[in-house]
Amino acid sequence: MRIRIDHIAKIEGHASFTADIVKGDVKGARIKIEEGARLFEGIMRGRTDEEMPEIASRICGVCPVVHNLTGFKAIENAYNLDLDETSIVLRKLMMLGQIINSHALHLFFFSLSDFFGYKTDLQLINAYPEKTHDAIKIRDIGNELVEAIGGRSIHPMNATIGGMRKAPEIEELKKVLNDFRNTFDIVLRLADLFLQLKYPDFIRKTSYISLSNSDEYAIYDGKIMVDGKLDLNPKEFLLLIKEFQEKDSVAKRVKFADNTYMVGALARLHNNQEKLNPSAKAVLEKSKIKFPFYNPFYNILAQAIELVHCFEEAIKLLELITIGEIEISEPKIDSQTGEGVGAIEAPRGTLFYDLKLKQGIVENLNIITPTAQNLANLEADLEEFEKLAGFDRLNREQREEKIKMLIRAYDPCVTCAVH
Amino acid sequence: MKKKPVIAILSLSCCEGCQVAIFDLGERFLEFLTKVNIGDFRLAEELPDVKNYDIAIVEGTAITKEQKRRLKIIREKSKILIAIGACALLGGPQEIKDYRGNRKQLMRLIYPNVRGIDNPNVKSVKEMVKVDYEIPGCPINKEEFFRVINQILAGKKPKIEQKPVCDECPRKNKNCLLLLGKPCLGSISLAGCGAPCPVNNFPCDGCRGPRKGINLSAIKKALKIKARLEDKEIEMIMERFGQKNEIIKNSL
Repeated sequence: MRIRIDHIAKIEGHASFTADIVKGDVKGARIKIEEGARLFEGIMRGRTDEEMPEIASRICGVCPVVHNLTGFKAIENAYNLDLDETSIVLRKLMMLGQIINSHALHLFFFSLSDFFGYKTDLQLINAYPEKTHDAIKIRDIGNELVEAIGGRSIHPMNATIGGMRKAPEIEELKKVLNDFRNTFDIVLRLADLFLQLKYPDFIRKTSYISLSNSDEYAIYDGKIMVDGKLDLNPKEFLLLIKEFQEKDSVAKRVKFADNTYMVGALARLHNNQEKLNPSAKAVLEKSKIKFPFYNPFYNILAQAIELVHCFEEAIKLLELITIGEIEISEPKIDSQTGEGVGAIEAPRGTLFYDLKLKQGIVENLNIITPTAQNLANLEADLEEFEKLAGFDRLNREQREEKIKMLIRAYDPCVTCAVH
Repeated sequence: MKKKPVIAILSLSCCEGCQVAIFDLGERFLEFLTKVNIGDFRLAEELPDVKNYDIAIVEGTAITKEQKRRLKIIREKSKILIAIGACALLGGPQEIKDYRGNRKQLMRLIYPNVRGIDNPNVKSVKEMVKVDYEIPGCPINKEEFFRVINQILAGKKPKIEQKPVCDECPRKNKNCLLLLGKPCLGSISLAGCGAPCPVNNFPCDGCRGPRKGINLSAIKKALKIKARLEDKEIEMIMERFGQKNEIIKNSL
């Protein structure tokens, strides 16, 4: 049986899927990428340090904040710059806003319909009007936070080398804080909906990779953790992975020590669940997930848990930063030559920028996106998809539905993967 | 009752940020959905495609052969085509590859195996098919989009006023970024964004493209004197969002 899914809907960017099912065994599972090559890494060469992260944010309109900030982090590491505490908190808040609006989009508008068999979100919206308003409200507040600090929710421009261009208006942040507090019940309600869903039963062992640090649930900063152990600097980690291009593919794939691995919400939860904020931890406990846990469909629930965590974290940081004046210091840059790696947890997993600069001009840039890292793992899952409980009893259409559901559970961003 | 218009929101190669901006209208977008029939909107549905669109909203640039084919089909089946965003109107940052060095070399730099990967000169949607309305910006201003689409739905012919970003910029005189020596293109760029960049100390780099009737050589002179920029540096700023604009092209 030949499975062919053209133009998979409800993911960022364009991709198709093909595989053969021979005597109930899936063979040759492959995601075909259908984006045009934009050559972002190439067009950065010869451009100035400052404009690189600005152009880079145009890689993805769903997660522009993380491309922008990872670009700046790579530059700052290359120049050995330390940021002031306030700028770091502001950037962390931008990341929380980014994850909130991206997760809300994926959870509600991309993935939820799969659990009910709806072909269009209009059916979902009509069936769950209240929940739709909840999801919209959560997205709005994520955007509000990014806009208040970054200047704009899509392609924000307020970060700069060594810090931020402008301190946000404290009154505006207080308003955002208030909105976060007033919306907290709504986010708990949405997480509860995702707790009640029935996730397909599919297990395949893999490696989980994410940032990790001792102070908090790592998003903006940390070392690379592999399966709850191995603390590597991002730079060291990049030496251990292999980025490769398969024939005709505009997106590269990545392996770590010759194995596929997963990044994203489930990987972060796996490595850092103890650092979750209390309400998020309570949701995780209710879910009865016991780690290690190898069902990739639960990336969806992991995002719902993170949504709660990000709300709690945003409230915490906003409370902290709205005491007294917000002052940011001007960075002092000595040398504009060097090499640096930036790594931040994007909504879909760890994003790396490996950068070389000479006198303020980009000499070389390699961008490794979460989806590029997840692609090989997703294909490996699909290659063993006959292990899905009840797979042999499904007809062709039902099999295709489940395949699409798993692809969407990874929340792939094809736009990012190609860049 | 009047039949609801069939709307398609479509994406070619780009960051999809303009679609996200439309989504970010939030409650207003939900309300909009009740007034139209969705012909194609891949971000929210997977129903089979419909035969004709009353209005097609297109973001991105057609880079692959398949995308070029699709864009032609989209045009044929649409009564009105609205191109949105810097990619569709100016070529977008992906166009930089066409004038910085050799695009084939750039491709080889990134992909060890370049066979089968389309690498044409990037063209804006405007250069490939007839466009009825333009909504500029990187990303589009969702408020402007909302106004324009509602005017079109009401049978009106919306226009974007040709005035400079400076008109919307609260920095004046001694606070002006250009006068402070920053490479700000506000005076030649088309307003309508609300000047979020200069408000945040970020010089305007013209993502909405130049407005009509500008004096490009005057601004270039000002950039040279005030911001101490070389010709090449000025060009590199101006091409960030693509040069597929007759105003820039004729002046460079």
